[in-house]
Amino acid sequence: MTATDFLNLLIAALLLAGTYAAMAVGMTVIYGVMKIVNLAHAGFLMLGAYYVYELHERLGIFPLLGVLLAFPAFFAAGVLVHWVLGRGVPVSDTPTLASLLLMFGLWLVLQNVGYLIWGTDDRSILTPMTFATIRFGEITIPKIGLVVFLSAIVSLAALEFVLHKTWFGRSIRALIQNRYSCRIVGIPVERTARLTFGLGVAFAGTAGGLLALLYPFSPDFGRPFLLRSFVIIVLGGLESFSGVFAGALILALVETFGILFVPSSYQPAISFSLLVLALIVLPDGVAGFVAKMRSRGAA
Amino acid sequence: MNPRAEPVGLAARVLRTAPPLLLLAVMAALPLFQLGPNSLKLLFLTCVWIAASVGWNILGGFAGQVSFGFAVFFGLGAYTTAVGINQGISPYLTYPLAAAIAALASLLIGLPTFRLRGPYFAIATIGVSEAVRVVMTNIDFTGGSSGYRITEHGPFRQAEHYYTALALAALAVGISILVRHSRFGLGLRAIRDDQDAAADSGVNPYAFKLAAHAIAAAFTGAAGGVLARYAAFIDPEGVFGFQRSVGILLMPVIGGVNTIWGPVIGGGVYGLIEEELVAKFPQFHLLLYGVLVMLIILFEPGGVVGLFARARRFVLRRRVASWQPS
Repeated sequence: MTATDFLNLLIAALLLAGTYAAMAVGMTVIYGVMKIVNLAHAGFLMLGAYYVYELHERLGIFPLLGVLLAFPAFFAAGVLVHWVLGRGVPVSDTPTLASLLLMFGLWLVLQNVGYLIWGTDDRSILTPMTFATIRFGEITIPKIGLVVFLSAIVSLAALEFVLHKTWFGRSIRALIQNRYSCRIVGIPVERTARLTFGLGVAFAGTAGGLLALLYPFSPDFGRPFLLRSFVIIVLGGLESFSGVFAGALILALVETFGILFVPSSYQPAISFSLLVLALIVLPDGVAGFVAKMRSRGAA
Repeated sequence: MNPRAEPVGLAARVLRTAPPLLLLAVMAALPLFQLGPNSLKLLFLTCVWIAASVGWNILGGFAGQVSFGFAVFFGLGAYTTAVGINQGISPYLTYPLAAAIAALASLLIGLPTFRLRGPYFAIATIGVSEAVRVVMTNIDFTGGSSGYRITEHGPFRQAEHYYTALALAALAVGISILVRHSRFGLGLRAIRDDQDAAADSGVNPYAFKLAAHAIAAAFTGAAGGVLARYAAFIDPEGVFGFQRSVGILLMPVIGGVNTIWGPVIGGGVYGLIEEELVAKFPQFHLLLYGVLVMLIILFEPGGVVGLFARARRFVLRRRVASWQPS
């Protein structure tokens, strides 16, 4: 492998990491606040892809604008779902069997509604950008990859802003830390949970739209990405936002460079192997591992 | 030693053990009534699904560890039996082998994932089944994605298949009852309710979960083997597919998780309607299952058994209410 090959792969990995972070962050907020593993994340990713696709096909809306439009639509959908499920999605301390099965059921419903509407065929969103590249001498950057990466980064920056500069964001972070103290200081826990669910679903839909610009999709689009999201948040320590970035980067690097060592038909097994490895080596995620190393260094 | 206080005395014991034995006797006598091959096939499938469903419940119900990946064990069992039969091993020897290999696989999955609490196990199982399916579609030895044919010499005796499946289902229910009433089952229940408290009372949650996973996997693997011999053809999508995992999880949820008879009822219902549903609504049936799971969790987490219990309470309450002291 030459140095340019290496650089090209590295760039591809970095671009992928940004999208992966946007994809996994929705799962992290919901898990952090409510301790619900949102298996329906896969369904919302898939719906996000078709949402952008339909807007593009029927109304001729430019896919990037479609992705932007996905955010409010999926936010509303998430809030609605949370309202309908009601006491099925409580704010709890540990993930419950009931919420796990409930979100699983929701995923099955979303996925198969997808099959009913769009059938089993693969679709893709093609724009003039899709096959365009930017060249710097030997180094090529896919244009669409760069655009998707930038959109993902913008959305994540917006999220960081909301989390740190608004009361809603502060309540989310407080809820992740300690739900009882939140009640004491008067944070409206139920309302924050509902909006958080909306936020998580909104990110799922948006990320689904972004992924649809990169890959062809079918109603089963969400499943491999659900597992990847989970690998990322496990690597990140489940509830930490900075951990999500680290996790996304690790997964993207492993997947991109894994192509060199693993036949492509075994690709789906990579994320799972990484998950098992993470569970054995880094049970508290990368952030926890760093913290442990630091405390060991201090002692 | 039975740690649970229960009504004692001969009458109570007979009342408790008679219905299941009666059910078994009826099931065993059914082939004598000259049923058509289609009805017998349905009954056979029902027994296979009951065995898998009861197995899932030992881990998912008794120990409270939801798995979305039981297709792994089902598929491994199916392939073990298939390869075994083609190697000339007696089918009846391949079933224990199928169970053993499935149990071994369950250890491999459980060793890393049970070390942590929380949702790790449940999510990891989604990945495991996907990874195993991918590997199986790429292995040449068993024909890869095009499937694997089982060639067995001698006539096809449907009744023999049915009795094998029935014996397996009966064994599964028997073990499930034993587990439920043993110290082991009590430990599982303690883990389900409060893992910390269980660990403080001397239960080793890690070892207990691994053991429950292995028992559950063994029955599911044997069920896969029994089905594979009947079908005479298996392919990775069919036995390792996500739909298989969904089906195995769905049965106990319909019937009532964490009960003895819930998974049996769920398996029975599923076995009788699954073929029909898949044939009539190839895509729609999973949608139905999803709606069903959501409705059950939202309104009657106890499934069919919970519904019965509720109906009984309702009737009893009305009886009490209508009773007026004169």
